[in-house]
Amino acid sequence: MIKLLEKLPPTECPKFLHRVVDGVCGRDPPRFGDYGSTWSLPEWMEVLDGLSLFFRFAVGKKCSDEEVQESLLDLGGGHREAVLACLKGRGKEIRQALVERTNAVSSAQLHDFDWQIKLAMSSDKISSLQMALLSLSLDVKQGGALKPVTLELNREELQTLINSLEAANKVVLQLK
Amino acid sequence: MEEVDRILIHSLRQTGTEIGEDVDSVKQFSSELIVEAVVRCLRVIDPSLGNGLTPTLPPGMSARFRLGMSLAQACQDLGYKGEIGYQTFLYSSEPEIRSLLMFLVEKLPRASAEASDQPAGKSALLQKAIAAQIRAQLALPWVPPTCRLPLLCQTQSAGVSGSFRSQALSLPHAKGLGKPPVKEVADYCRDFLLPVTAQPSQHASVPASLLERHALELSAAQEWENEWNSQGLLTRLSPEGYRSRKRARLQKRIEEQLRAAAQPRPNTQHAPRSGPDLAELLNSFGGVTAGGDVLAKGTRFTHTEKFTFTQEPETSAQQMAAAASAMPSSRQSEEDLLAQQQDELQALQHQLQQLSVRMEEVGGDMKQLSVSITQVSDELKQRELGNSEKEDSVRVKKQTIDLLPDAENNLAKLQTLVESSAKRVVSLASQWEKHRAPLIEERRRLKELCSNRELESSRKLSEIKDLHDKIRQSADEAKKKEGLYKQLITEFENLPKDVSRSAYTQRILEIVGNIRKQKEEITKILSDTKELQKEINSLTGKLDRTFAVTDELVFKDAKKDESVRKSYKYLAALHENCTQLIQTIEDTGTIMREIRDLEEQIETENGKKTVSNLEKILEDYKAIRQENSALAAKIREA
Repeated sequence: MIKLLEKLPPTECPKFLHRVVDGVCGRDPPRFGDYGSTWSLPEWMEVLDGLSLFFRFAVGKKCSDEEVQESLLDLGGGHREAVLACLKGRGKEIRQALVERTNAVSSAQLHDFDWQIKLAMSSDKISSLQMALLSLSLDVKQGGALKPVTLELNREELQTLINSLEAANKVVLQLK
Repeated sequence: MEEVDRILIHSLRQTGTEIGEDVDSVKQFSSELIVEAVVRCLRVIDPSLGNGLTPTLPPGMSARFRLGMSLAQACQDLGYKGEIGYQTFLYSSEPEIRSLLMFLVEKLPRASAEASDQPAGKSALLQKAIAAQIRAQLALPWVPPTCRLPLLCQTQSAGVSGSFRSQALSLPHAKGLGKPPVKEVADYCRDFLLPVTAQPSQHASVPASLLERHALELSAAQEWENEWNSQGLLTRLSPEGYRSRKRARLQKRIEEQLRAAAQPRPNTQHAPRSGPDLAELLNSFGGVTAGGDVLAKGTRFTHTEKFTFTQEPETSAQQMAAAASAMPSSRQSEEDLLAQQQDELQALQHQLQQLSVRMEEVGGDMKQLSVSITQVSDELKQRELGNSEKEDSVRVKKQTIDLLPDAENNLAKLQTLVESSAKRVVSLASQWEKHRAPLIEERRRLKELCSNRELESSRKLSEIKDLHDKIRQSADEAKKKEGLYKQLITEFENLPKDVSRSAYTQRILEIVGNIRKQKEEITKILSDTKELQKEINSLTGKLDRTFAVTDELVFKDAKKDESVRKSYKYLAALHENCTQLIQTIEDTGTIMREIRDLEEQIETENGKKTVSNLEKILEDYKAIRQENSALAAKIREA
């Protein structure tokens, strides 16, 4: 399936490969629209999946250059060179992405968080309230989908949250 | 007085009273202004007291009277000692109003000023800022969304539009600065790496991604520094050494965990299967810390899966093709062939059985033989050992037999030999001792040195730690102080500039100097008075004594001489007259003083304009009566 890569001229190859690696690392993969004239849709899926798998495999197993070349035997010389160069250049990054992925094996993972401090000046009962409120929005990744969770905490609740997080961090530190 | 008035007017302006620019002394205050100033002051001093009062003078006489009375009552509640009534406000005399205003201004709370001096006024500052912002926003008109300028969009659109989404960024890493980067990496960075703003899929997540990246690196560096300072320094390893040791420890831990999980359980059937799987997993962990391999393993499985799936159809197709090609030629003799094949098959099976039986036999023989071979080789070794022992004993015996004929000589020789060897041993021992002693000494010394060094290094370590703590503390302090400084600067800039402090202090110093001079004069006068008093006392004493002496002398002579008796009478009369005179003079002095006091009183009373005030009050009374009668008439009409 990687052989389909030969449909692309060798000069175009590095750019495409780097975009594929971008996809592996969690950014935008290349778009079908840009390469629609080269491959049909099934071929496109195949070549994209195959290359991603290949990169992950090669980096994950720490293959030596010879091993990689061996597995690329059915590819033309120029293309093979391009794949090798891309692998060498981006190896560290792919590795980092793989480590992150392995890190995220648990069922839910915190992906992003954002917070805002709001000062409630008064309420319907009290004219001068002066209470600081934290609105905390968490993006939790669960089963590959981002799920937004939004909380509003006052000072004490925030303290409890921070305390429990610190306790968790302590446990992690002890594991180290 | 001008100075006092200016201070008063300034403080009154601060309380919120609107005093015109042309007013610069209390004399120019109108009744309305006085009422307003007093009400504002009362509101600042005690809101509960002042909130019930209006700062504007009402038109009706009775309402004015009521307002004046309540104002006077409030001032007395605050502790004003002077004479005060409703007329104080309506028909003011300058000194009264001045003293009242001075009292009120002194009562103005200083606490607010003190609070703003302190740096703890942060919340107050914040509230002020919030209030100002809200006021500014309220002042702006609402604009339909389509017409909004960017400035308005910030305040009038609802909430923040974009959420915080970060993506991993690819940056040419700064870590590689020391060594020249690999050619491929350099190529990638030069030719294909997009600028960081183009990397995330949405433009809005650029800042989020950058922040995230920065926070990640920062927290990693901080954690490392903390760990290094708290634990790393104590191990006395280089950072790389510490890292590698930690990595090894973690790997071991993970392996232990996985091994414990992979222990085959005797009861379950799946255990033998899962055991090897996990063991394989373990092997894959061997050289790597992270579990990227788990994924890689998954991909390898999928690879093999794909291989088997793609291969199987191929092979089956080949077989099919072979069968198809063989079919037409063998159709006629099919049955013969079948029979033949079956015969052959039976013969071959038979042969196979025979062969397997023979194989088993041969295998048994081989086992037996190998067992016997090991036995025999063991025996051989034992025999060889015995042989060498025997050879040794034979050699010794042979030597002794050779020595037997010349036994005495040989004995002597042997003895000398033994002695010499003993001597040699002794000398060697002494030499050894000689060598040993300095060596031991050296060792001890080195050991001591080592321990000393260790002590010193631990001391230095603790010092370093202390220094680290101190550095952190002082950095914190510096930060705090800088913040304070900034706050104070802004506060200072915000302070009103119209009050020139130095002028005030100068004035106060002048006043103090004047007072001191006056005091000196007063003490001078006092001392003069005292001297006078003393003189008077001494004179009266002298007078009394002389009078007594003269009286006695004259009285003695008066018995003898008639003229003397007359002179005695005159003397007595003179004395009495003189005392009367002095008494009169003293009385005049006191009366003069009283007169002066009374004159002063009259002046003050005149200053109070009592008569005109009385007239005014009478007029007020009349006005109130008129109002009352008018109201009563209205009621009657109604």
